[in-house]
This record gives sequence, C-alpha cells and structure tokens, in this order.
Amino acid sequence: MPKEGGGRAEYGGSYMEEVEWYKKPRQISHVGELIDMMKEMLFIKKLFEHHRSLWWASYMFHMGIYVLIVFTLLLIATVIWRQDLLVMGTTLVGMAGFSLATAGCALLLVRRALDPTLRKYTTPQEYFNILLLLAVLLTGIVSWTMVSNPFYVAAAVLTANGSAIPVFVTVHLVLLGIMFIYIPISKMSHYVGKYFSFHKVLWDNDPNFMDNEVNKKMKKDAQTPPEHSWSAPHINLPKNGEE
Amino acid sequence: MPTPDKNLRPKDISKPADILSPIATLEKLPGVYGQEGMEPDFKEIKDSWKEKYCTSLDGIVGIDTFELPKTPEEQEALVKGFLSGLEKLFTDCNKGSLEPLQLTMEYCAKCNTCSEACHIFQSSGEQEIYRPIFRTDVLRRIYKKHFSSSGKLGAFVGADIDATWEAIARLGELSYRCNLCRRCAQVCPLGLDNGMVTREIRKIFSMEMGIAPVPIHSKGTMLQLKTGSSTGLSKPAFLDTLEFIEEDIEEKTGRKIKFPIDKQGADILLFHNAGEFIAWPDNPAAFAILFDEAGLDWTLSSEIIGYDSVNYGIWYDDVQAKRVALKQMEAAKELGVKRVVMGECGHAHKAMMLTADRMTTEEKVPVESWLPIMAELVREGRFSFDPSKNNFPVTLHDPCNIVRQMGIVTPQREILQAVAPMFREMAPCGVENYCCGGGSGFAIMNSCNFSDFRNKVSSRKKWEQILNSFAAELEDPSIIKYICAPCSNCKGTIRDMLEYYKATGKFNVQYSGLVELMVNALTSMDRPFFEFLPQE
Repeated sequence: MPKEGGGRAEYGGSYMEEVEWYKKPRQISHVGELIDMMKEMLFIKKLFEHHRSLWWASYMFHMGIYVLIVFTLLLIATVIWRQDLLVMGTTLVGMAGFSLATAGCALLLVRRALDPTLRKYTTPQEYFNILLLLAVLLTGIVSWTMVSNPFYVAAAVLTANGSAIPVFVTVHLVLLGIMFIYIPISKMSHYVGKYFSFHKVLWDNDPNFMDNEVNKKMKKDAQTPPEHSWSAPHINLPKNGEE
Repeated sequence: MPTPDKNLRPKDISKPADILSPIATLEKLPGVYGQEGMEPDFKEIKDSWKEKYCTSLDGIVGIDTFELPKTPEEQEALVKGFLSGLEKLFTDCNKGSLEPLQLTMEYCAKCNTCSEACHIFQSSGEQEIYRPIFRTDVLRRIYKKHFSSSGKLGAFVGADIDATWEAIARLGELSYRCNLCRRCAQVCPLGLDNGMVTREIRKIFSMEMGIAPVPIHSKGTMLQLKTGSSTGLSKPAFLDTLEFIEEDIEEKTGRKIKFPIDKQGADILLFHNAGEFIAWPDNPAAFAILFDEAGLDWTLSSEIIGYDSVNYGIWYDDVQAKRVALKQMEAAKELGVKRVVMGECGHAHKAMMLTADRMTTEEKVPVESWLPIMAELVREGRFSFDPSKNNFPVTLHDPCNIVRQMGIVTPQREILQAVAPMFREMAPCGVENYCCGGGSGFAIMNSCNFSDFRNKVSSRKKWEQILNSFAAELEDPSIIKYICAPCSNCKGTIRDMLEYYKATGKFNVQYSGLVELMVNALTSMDRPFFEFLPQE
C-alpha cells in the first residue's frame, strides 16, 4: 500500500500495526503514492518485477506510445513555430516512438501467438486489437517515410486542407481514428481500468468512521436498496439466519 | 498414472472425461522429503464418491453437499440456478464486489503474471486448471456467451463456453481449489484479483443455489448463528472449558488465574477463535497469563457468538458473513467494552477489522489486533523474558489475512526478536509469504479426499518453506524445530501437515502460536510451558 506513511509502505505495512490506530491521525504519504504511480506508469514496475520476459516487449510498446504522444505534440508545435532544431528534434522523437511502439507491438503479437500458454487464453478479438495497433503503426511508418512528410500533413490537418493529404496517409489517419474510437470500448482502455483497480480497490483501505467520507458514501448507497436479491433457502431465513 | 493434459483450454471445462485433469506430477519436495516413500499417495477415489459428487474435475471432492443431478430436469435446474446467480453477480445485490469483479472480468490482459505467484499452480506441477486465470476465464466466457451484448460475436470475443451442467459442476469444484490468499492480485500489473473472482463463484453456489461445503456452511456459519460457535460449543460448555483451562494453568504454572467473563465496561474484549479453546487450550491460557502479568483490563464474552471470532462467511457468502459479523459487534456493544482485540486468528482479523468495517454505518466498537498491543508491552518492558528458554530453531509463518491483506508485519517480528534467539525467517516472508494451504476453509474441509489435496497440493509450498527453514537441523530429531503460526486456521493446517508427513515423530518438528513462545520465555515460569520440552 504505497500511500501508507511512516516508512510502512516499504515493507507492505499499514496503520493497523499501531496500538489504538483509530485514535491516531493516519500517516498518509501522497508522495509515496505518487512515486509508486509514476513507477507503474513510466516503467510498468509490476511487470518488470514479476514477469521480466514479457516486460521487454510490453515496455517497448508502451514507452513507444508515450513517445508518439510527445511526437504528436511536437508536430503541432512545428506548425506554429517552424524552427530547424525543433523539426530535427521532432523527427528524432518520431523515429524513436515509431520504432519502439512497432517493435514492442510486433513482439507482443509474436509472443502471444507462439507462447503456448498465452495462446490458449487469447481470443481472436485480442489478436485483432494488437493487429489494429500494428496496422496503425506500420501505415504511419510508411506514410512518413515513403509517402509524405509529417510536418506537411500536420499543417494540412490543422488548416483543414484535407485535399492536400495523400490517399495512403488518409488511410493511416482513418485507421488512427478507428483506433481512438475503438479503444474505449475494448480492453485496450485498461490504462483507465488500472486507475480504478489500484486506487478504488487495491489501495482502498480507509476505515469507516462516523461521518467520514467512507461512512457518508455508505449511507448514500444504503438509501437505494437493491432491486435484486439472492435466492438460496438460507438467505431469507427469519431471525437473522438462525434455522 | 493418468497424466494431466497440458494443452487443456478453458473451453475444455465441458469436455467429456472421467477426470478432466488428474493430479499427477507434483513439485518435488526438498531434502529428505524428496526421497521415495516419504510422502503418502492420494487416496483411491471411491465409486460411491463418483456416483454422488463431482469428481470429474481432478478427482477431488471439495463440495460435499453438491450431489450430481441425475435427471434432465435436475440438470436443467442446476444450469438455471447457476445462470441466475451469475447474472445477479453483476447487479445491485452484489454492490460491494461489483467494481473489482467487473474490472477483473473486463481488463485482464492474460499476461499470466499471476501464475508464477500461485502456490497451488506451482505446487501442482503447473497443472492448467489451477492457473489463476483459468477459472476466471471459464466464468468470463460463460458470462459473455449468456449475458453480454458482445457475446453475439461468439468465439471471436471468447463467448464460447456453454453453461452445461458438467461445466458448472466442475467450475464449482474449481472454486474450492484456491485459498483466496490474493498473492496473485499482489503481482498483477493491472491490479486485478482472480482470487476475488473465485470467491464470487463460491457466492453463486451458496447464495443462489444453496450449495456450500458442510464444514463452512451447515457446520460453519449456520451452526455458529444457532449455537454461538462453529465448533458447536454452547455457552455452558464454553464456561466449563474455561474452568478446565484455569485448572490446567494452575497445574502447569502454579498461578491462579480466573478468566474475566462478561466484565461490563472492560477496556478489552479479547476475541478468540473458539477452536483454540477446544484444540489448543494452551493458547487462550497463554493470553490469560500474559494479560494477567501485564495487568490489562480485559474480558471474554459468554454471549452467543461473543466467544467465537470466526466468520466463515467471508470465504463464500456475503449474507452469512454479515449476519455473523453484526452479531459479533452486538456482543461487544452490549458489554460496553472500549475495544475489541482479535486473538490469534487470521481470517477473524480480516472479517472483523476489514470486511465488517464496511458492513454498517452505525457507531462501532473499535477493533484491533493483539499483535501491536503485545509488541508495545514487550517494548515497554512489561514482561521479563529469558529467551534462552526458547533455545531452539523457530520460524514464522505469516498468515495471509493478517500480513498481506492487513499489513501487520513488524509487531510479531519484534516479539520474536525478544523471545526466540534462534528465529529465522521463511523465504519468502512478510507480505510475500505463501499461504499455509488451509486458507478460505481448506483447513477444516476434510470430506472424502479433500485433505489429500490440502496436504499434498495447497500446503506443499508452505511445507517446502518450512523444510528449507530447518534444512540444517531437520534430520536431527534431538533438535526441536518450532513453527510459529499465529493463526488458528494456519495452525490447524500445519498440525495436519506435520501429521501427514510424520514430521513430529520423525524429526521433532513442533508447531504452535506466538503467545505460547512468549509464555515459555517468561522468567517467572518455573517449568517449561511447552509439553515437548523436558519438564524437569
């Protein structure tokens, strides 16, 4: 629990190690929580620690995506401020991003297809997800290296000059658009789910005291009794469960 | 010997087979226990079990109330009941578990990181059906097929398991092949929890279909709600037992200690697992000696449920868990105590301090663990110890509920440093510990051949850890080797494990709790507290 203060997070300790913990102010380390979050977001720490062989491919891919986000922002910047050094830097960032993401994505696909265990659990849709990403990345590489110039296309997009964009690049941009629409309805949105699984589930160890946030939320939830109920014979026994 | 199919896939759960995945090659045990003949074989599966229960998963029977449906009508009713329960899991009657359940069902990347962390999967020689993602994926595929809109796309999205009665029967059994230790959740890069999903499957069976193993339901929570204790210990019997323990304390130590009972307004209500009074009376006796020596203001409750801290509901049934917990809280409130202190029972710690904490919005009596209190008393010098009295190798088992799930890690180590000079950690330890193999009800499930599964498979990692901890001294029976297990369920599992492997008789491996070690080290004790030590 990285938010546990007083050095407890280091060994997995919690406030329950204290005598009469309910009388003491909680030691919460927001810095510790932030550091842990950053380690997970930037380095995929858990996979690194517990599944190194998969981490290499996964990290290349995710890092590549981050770098490509930076590339996109830099690309927009070059439209506003065309400066040689910025253009060169953007080009290098783009090359790094595409290389990392494409190599990582291809390795993930190969690993999933060849590893007998992963293959057993992977559905056709999950292969489709990786192939969609790979298609976006590969059409991007072809677009920017063989068909057109990203700086030119960025300027055309931002000035709404669609006719200036070559067909192949349009295909790449359409695939990119499909990917953005598809991600939220697929498990590729796990970056959002991950926030909830850590913050709202795994790290949710706040005690329920009268009128604290947990208590208020519980009271609010209790105002809406469930519409459904379980059916086993013992569920509806009288006298609070006694036969 | 039949061998398990390494290529087994989740959708094979419906595959016709006498036994889908027989247990074959187990992980090799270290040292002398790796030798031929040191480990008993599995019991033969009786024909009567095959006829009555579901043995077609792995040949083990966990759910001893689940009788196979004989007629098409019974089979249909089973499927209907399961699907109804599965649907309810995702509705408002399962509000408390909905978010983690949905996250695990939706976002699992099937990266398989959890498999390395699972002691059952590893110990079984990596048998596919015990892989943490296997049972979740079976549930996911059934759910998608029957309830999700994307399920119309069939196998493309993995909606490819039909809810046949055999698949359901096997899935029910499979939900009792996981200790719910949550070691898998600890390593999941996405923070998902396959152990929690296992418990959800148990909930469908219990809360919708009325099917749960006898020891945890009819002789567990039901008996506890009726008599006050899952042991069946009634109030008069409880009071008699206390008298017996008082006499025993006097005989052993010469101290006249009277258990304070129902003392209104006491500072501490000490809450024991009632199994301690029956199976390990030295444990409540040790607590009484230490609390008496430290001069604490404490009491026991003799009210219904007030003397048994267990709550088996947290393993399989939210409704039962709540009923038990609310009655336990009521007992504490009625006594007007300032705080409830949980004794050496891991799941009771979790049930009262975590699970029950979110069960009521009303004012509660605060609950805490005995460990920090005792560590503080040790730190303050309230006891005088002669650690040389415990001059034998000691290793510590970390109960999953207290350590991994609640983060109480250091107090027990602080105490051991003071009373056990030859203490050594297991590897791994602390929050990375392995379950004893008895978690989530396994410790008390002994029907048919289930104890074989516990002793040979689910406890195997723990046994391996213990053997490694005592590697240097194991084969010398003149040296006592002590496993300190501050949890009743873990202690029960370790007791059975030692008996199964004849480790006490052959190699002098002993086990008990932490308070017993403390009392044995008290300078004020004229004689050893442990019976395995020479009494002269």
